Amino acid sequence: MKTRGLRSEKKRVRAFWLIAVLSCSVVFVFLLSELSQASAQIEKGSKSPVLSQMVLAGKVTGSQARTKDKNKQESPPSTDKLKGLPEETIKILKENKFLEEELKLAGKPAYYFVINLKEKKVDLKARGMVLKSWNFSDLRYSGKPVPLKVTSLTHKTALDPPERKIIQPDEEQDKDEKEMNEMKESQPEATGTFEVEALELADMPSSFDLNFDDGLKISIQSKSGLKETFHQTWENILWYTWYPIKHFIIRKSELKPRLVIYFENQREAQAIYWAFIDGIKGIIWFP
Amino acid sequence: MRFWKRLLGLITVLYLGFLITLSLSWVHHLKLSAEWKTVWSSELEVKTKVKPERQNAALKNRLKRLPPRDVYLVIDSAENIFYLKKDDQVIRKGIVSTGSGTVLVEPGGKRTWVFDTPKGEFFVKSKIQNPYWVKPDWAFIEEGESIPKKLEDRVEGGALGDYALGFGRGYFIHGTLYTRLLGRSVTHGCIRMADQDLEAVFKASKIGTRIYIY
Repeated sequence: MKTRGLRSEKKRVRAFWLIAVLSCSVVFVFLLSELSQASAQIEKGSKSPVLSQMVLAGKVTGSQARTKDKNKQESPPSTDKLKGLPEETIKILKENKFLEEELKLAGKPAYYFVINLKEKKVDLKARGMVLKSWNFSDLRYSGKPVPLKVTSLTHKTALDPPERKIIQPDEEQDKDEKEMNEMKESQPEATGTFEVEALELADMPSSFDLNFDDGLKISIQSKSGLKETFHQTWENILWYTWYPIKHFIIRKSELKPRLVIYFENQREAQAIYWAFIDGIKGIIWFP
Repeated sequence: MRFWKRLLGLITVLYLGFLITLSLSWVHHLKLSAEWKTVWSSELEVKTKVKPERQNAALKNRLKRLPPRDVYLVIDSAENIFYLKKDDQVIRKGIVSTGSGTVLVEPGGKRTWVFDTPKGEFFVKSKIQNPYWVKPDWAFIEEGESIPKKLEDRVEGGALGDYALGFGRGYFIHGTLYTRLLGRSVTHGCIRMADQDLEAVFKASKIGTRIYIY
């Protein structure tokens, strides 16, 4: 009887410790998240109730306060003004904003892009007309959404970026040989069956990142190919585990929005790399 | 034994902690994701003076007035395809050759040329029948020949086909002798067309016709 009593006592103690540790970890995670959120809101230029309490308690450093003031001009998005409005009105207002922004781009001679997240479509446009359109099969987004305004592509990054072929003219090259080559070139043959020294669409990567000036990163990926499948699997693991935790624990990271766009066809992803030249402007929106 | 029990306990606690964190993270993540579908813009304001519906219609009208009224040419340099269009309708479609994207370095590294076809909106600036090519320096350097001093030594007839359309900065839409290379990126930046296509484009366009290259 005594042994049984001791065992049940031990079990009770173990359960107590388990509950205590779990409660502590929940409280710890909550505090960490709150702190992180507060810190992120300083970056955005506003403060949370927890932060205001910390300011009162003198826990916010001078540099943090300065950062807050500096970033105040980059006002955070506000949805308060639109609260209570019917969905249809919001839709019209949104379209209104989109048209205003598009008009800014359409007035210029450069071509621009419009990414419609609802219709899963990337349009390449000039003067308001669609030059080329690509439909993507899948879409993922994380972090705070980007504001509905013109954004500019700063640079593209890829694991295997295309390299331009450099022609080194060989002065010693035999002229006869050259003439022979020219003769061969002028022979009528089926196209596409020979190698040319050129940077073509097939040389473009099918998995790459587009980095925009507002902090948005768009990852373009194609679903075909072994390398792409491996990459997608790795991305899936990160997407379902690391990214949510990262945004939850480190709230600053949610200010770096990220889109992942999947194309069924590898050539379509490559065409995006080709058409999206550095500095291209465009709009990303969810109608 | 006690050590292993404690280790197992610790692992359980850590695992449960991880699950809790992941669950909370997912709640937050879903909340954030939902925001993409709702309104999120600091610029978005409720218009009080002008009716937004009316304003949207006006903006759409302004956008509709921007595309060219006459024929225009669209060049897809990725697929090496051209479209002759009017009012968004394709009048003619065909294959072209565009810039190879290669880099030519002059021996000694003094000058370099990148053979890209420019991208953006352009206009037909000149229309030439029976054009002849005044070979630039790079054409001689590429061939490993010395650059001639006399202009007449640079002139080559027949290489550009029967017609040429200049669209600025020395770039032309012209014909080619190497028709089997049409559809590939092989040029020095100009756009090569097949003879019949070139004739049709030449006749349909006039000075000022817009060309869109992407």
